[in-house]
Amino acid sequence: MRATLILALTLSAVRGAPCAAQGFDRNTAPTPGPVTPIHIPGWTKTTLANGAQLIVTQKRDLPLVSFSLNIVGGSYNFESVSKLGTANFTAQMLSEGTATKTADQLSEAQQTLGTTIGINMTGEGGTISFTALKDKLEPALALTADMLLNSTFPAPALERIRGRTLVALQQGRDQPNTIASNVFSKVVYGNDHPYGRVTTETTVKAITRDDIVAFHKTYYQPGRAVITVTGDVDPAAVKDAVEKAFAAWPAGGTRPSFQYPPAPAPTKTTIYLVDKPKSAQSVFAIGLPGPPRDTPDYYAIQVMNNLLGGLFQSRLNHNIREVKGYSYGVNSQFMFGRGPGAFRAGGGIITAKTDSALIQFMREFHGVEGEVPFTDDEIMQGKESLIQSLPRRFSSVNGIGGSVAGIYTQDLPEQFYQEFPAKINAVSRDDLVRVAKKYVDLNHLNIIIVGDKEVVQGPLAATGIAPIVTLDLDGRAVPIP
Amino acid sequence: MHLTRLRLVAVLAASLASPVLAQAPALKPAPTAISIPFEKYTLPNGLTVILSVSKTIPQAAVDVWYHVGSKNELTGHTGFAHMFEHVMFTGSGHVPYGLHDRLTEGVGGNNNGSTTNDRTNYYENVPSNYVESALWLESDRMGFLLDSLDKAKFEAQRDIVQNERRQGIDNQPYGRAFEILTAGMLPESHPYSWPVVGYMSDLQKATVEDVKQFFRLYYAPSNATLAVVGDFEPAPVKQWVTKYFGDLPRGAAITRPAVPPVTMKETRLVYEDEVQIPRLYIAWNTVGENSEDNEALNLLSDILSGPRTARITKALVYDQQSAATVGAFTDASELYGAFLVTVTPRPGHTLTALEASADSIIAKLKADGPTADEMARVVAGSEFQFVSGLESNLGKAEILLTGSVFHNNPDHFKVQYARLKSVTAADIKRVANKYLTSGRVVLSMVPMGKTSDAAKADKSTKVTVSPDGGHYLMGSK
Repeated sequence: MRATLILALTLSAVRGAPCAAQGFDRNTAPTPGPVTPIHIPGWTKTTLANGAQLIVTQKRDLPLVSFSLNIVGGSYNFESVSKLGTANFTAQMLSEGTATKTADQLSEAQQTLGTTIGINMTGEGGTISFTALKDKLEPALALTADMLLNSTFPAPALERIRGRTLVALQQGRDQPNTIASNVFSKVVYGNDHPYGRVTTETTVKAITRDDIVAFHKTYYQPGRAVITVTGDVDPAAVKDAVEKAFAAWPAGGTRPSFQYPPAPAPTKTTIYLVDKPKSAQSVFAIGLPGPPRDTPDYYAIQVMNNLLGGLFQSRLNHNIREVKGYSYGVNSQFMFGRGPGAFRAGGGIITAKTDSALIQFMREFHGVEGEVPFTDDEIMQGKESLIQSLPRRFSSVNGIGGSVAGIYTQDLPEQFYQEFPAKINAVSRDDLVRVAKKYVDLNHLNIIIVGDKEVVQGPLAATGIAPIVTLDLDGRAVPIP
Repeated sequence: MHLTRLRLVAVLAASLASPVLAQAPALKPAPTAISIPFEKYTLPNGLTVILSVSKTIPQAAVDVWYHVGSKNELTGHTGFAHMFEHVMFTGSGHVPYGLHDRLTEGVGGNNNGSTTNDRTNYYENVPSNYVESALWLESDRMGFLLDSLDKAKFEAQRDIVQNERRQGIDNQPYGRAFEILTAGMLPESHPYSWPVVGYMSDLQKATVEDVKQFFRLYYAPSNATLAVVGDFEPAPVKQWVTKYFGDLPRGAAITRPAVPPVTMKETRLVYEDEVQIPRLYIAWNTVGENSEDNEALNLLSDILSGPRTARITKALVYDQQSAATVGAFTDASELYGAFLVTVTPRPGHTLTALEASADSIIAKLKADGPTADEMARVVAGSEFQFVSGLESNLGKAEILLTGSVFHNNPDHFKVQYARLKSVTAADIKRVANKYLTSGRVVLSMVPMGKTSDAAKADKSTKVTVSPDGGHYLMGSK
């Protein structure tokens, strides 16, 4: 502090703004003006000659354009279980050179256009995307198509990607959040469900160039593609440009069925402790398999979770961070997908309060299941925060593109956003308690805690909340010595 | 930058971390897109007000900057500016705790704050019909914070900040690297030498009385700038600004810390961390964001790392394949800057060899300068980067506030833009020679018990955390 008492004492001597409005009561919050109706932009939907869907949305206030080629289905649906990492490696290999351009030339071309073509892969989807000034759309499209259709997959590049990935995997074993996520997947879904897959050194070492070439051929097909173009563009001109750029992409491919095996049978609530000696914090991941995205309970779950662990003033964060001071922040979420995506709550907890924090997590779970009824004002906030934040989803070209793509990649109703406010408003208090009881099943929680076992095990046992099983970094039981 | 209420895992990087806009908004002289229309005025009590209308969505950002950050702290009291920021969320004279969130996230908006070395910001994104509420909320904590302050509230926030430090630094692999670098690069009395989040022992001893003094010194309209950006009507907003802020008293003049130039010899450090793979950090002192060299330093970092054709990236990651990852970063605060190179080795490659490789690449650039093609590529994306930053109300507010607070000119981004476009290859060569000198810190973060893995281990001094967690012990520097 540079404070001196003398300076502090002089502060009240100077008063500004003698004409400032007086006579109002600062204790009364201003009355909000009328609500502005929520405007959802419209879009045009067409199908390319090769079968890919094309969705164009205009946003003309800035000279920007966002392009995203979304493939429905991802590593869970197309990757061999013994070669986890193939999907991601294939995505990376699309930047390693084409029939007519070296990898460096592809990179230089993107830099010159002022854009970056990003290629990403998740469990249930893949994207190839860029954002650019609108006058760079056509050359960027041509470059994207070249990478998608004419990549040569040079073998030395695969070895480099493998080498870097092995380093990253090893570093992940030092990272408590990564450890918690991996062990959570293993404990909650086991080895036989795609949601339990974790890429390892072994699976990465098994990937060959032939695997990459085969994955590329099988996976990137227009029959399962949804292309979005958003920004300062003309829909008809965009259609011509995209058709032209992807004219050589042969028709084929269908969407995956997303038929998953059932999640493992629920097991009695258990604490799974992963030892990370001398940790300053314990990382919590508490949860179990949940419903798929198309559950009719979707809207009730959104409101309930918002109040449990979504908002800053959610019950979990209010109690464990703001009141108790055990954490910098805790939260909860439903990881909606085509299959039984998890409910997961957690955060980083100071080591000394690991047991106390777990007690509070359990207390808040009990609370939302009826012990502490939701107030009318809580419910109103839970709903308004979802409804009135919709405009921010539509404030950027990427936000619009992603929101609109989600409708078609996830098979949602085309009026999803227009109907969203009414569906959220229709959720009742009873619905909230019902979905809390149903999906935050207190008898079958998997409580993963990554922390300093020597310090936290005794206090955790003393809570009596659940038996403790010690696991290693890969989620395997550690034998009792 | 330290976000007060970040919910997900934050990458906190102490004073080398780039605040949102420390990397100069990259600009290009297209007359239409490179502009943000605004109106600026000052109330009689010294509050600077910036209004910028944008009708893209029916929402607005209300963003208040106070020109105070960690550099205004003193040794032994580190982390206080940021901890104070947390206290600003605990309610104020007429606003009970919780109402701030009720009138922001509870109506579809959000709020947060952050602290850097130089400034502290507080913002609300709200539906347009809640702009008046946001102004009321901000004015109340600007004027009446102490009316509701109590010890329990303060101590809870002190615990939270300590958890923020644990989560972002103490419990993260390599988490202490930036703190150690900064401590090694600057004398202990230098206002940029300590981490924004502060040292644990200093956090523990902060008191309510400290909060009161800090508020009286720095939290006055004359040390604040308010921006409102988004979909609103200027006339009523001006009335509300006068109504809620106009009668708050002006503050006393503030003595701002002097930031002396620093010269140093090479300092070699090694720190044992809970990691399996070592990592090399090389850092140089540079200049603040007010220096005309700043844009050239930005482009220099882009020439060294980033895309696969960048020089260090290409040589170490692609050609030699000796590194898993590399990075070159420049960070400019208001009155101090640093340039950093990091290298994570692949198995079989030593930090000593990687340091030599990086040094030879930098030496070649210092001798020859960049090529014309390199120059063209590193500026090609600048217009896009700027325009895409205009999509968010808060992003625009931060650009205008940066210029206004540090340069008394919300349009300062145009100056930076013009500078960026005028940087020549000779400028890059000149700043590389001027700043990337032998006076630097070379830090090896190594696995426990593996100090021999350090770059030039025999010449490296072992760094440890002091028993009270209050600072780093690194011999005599």
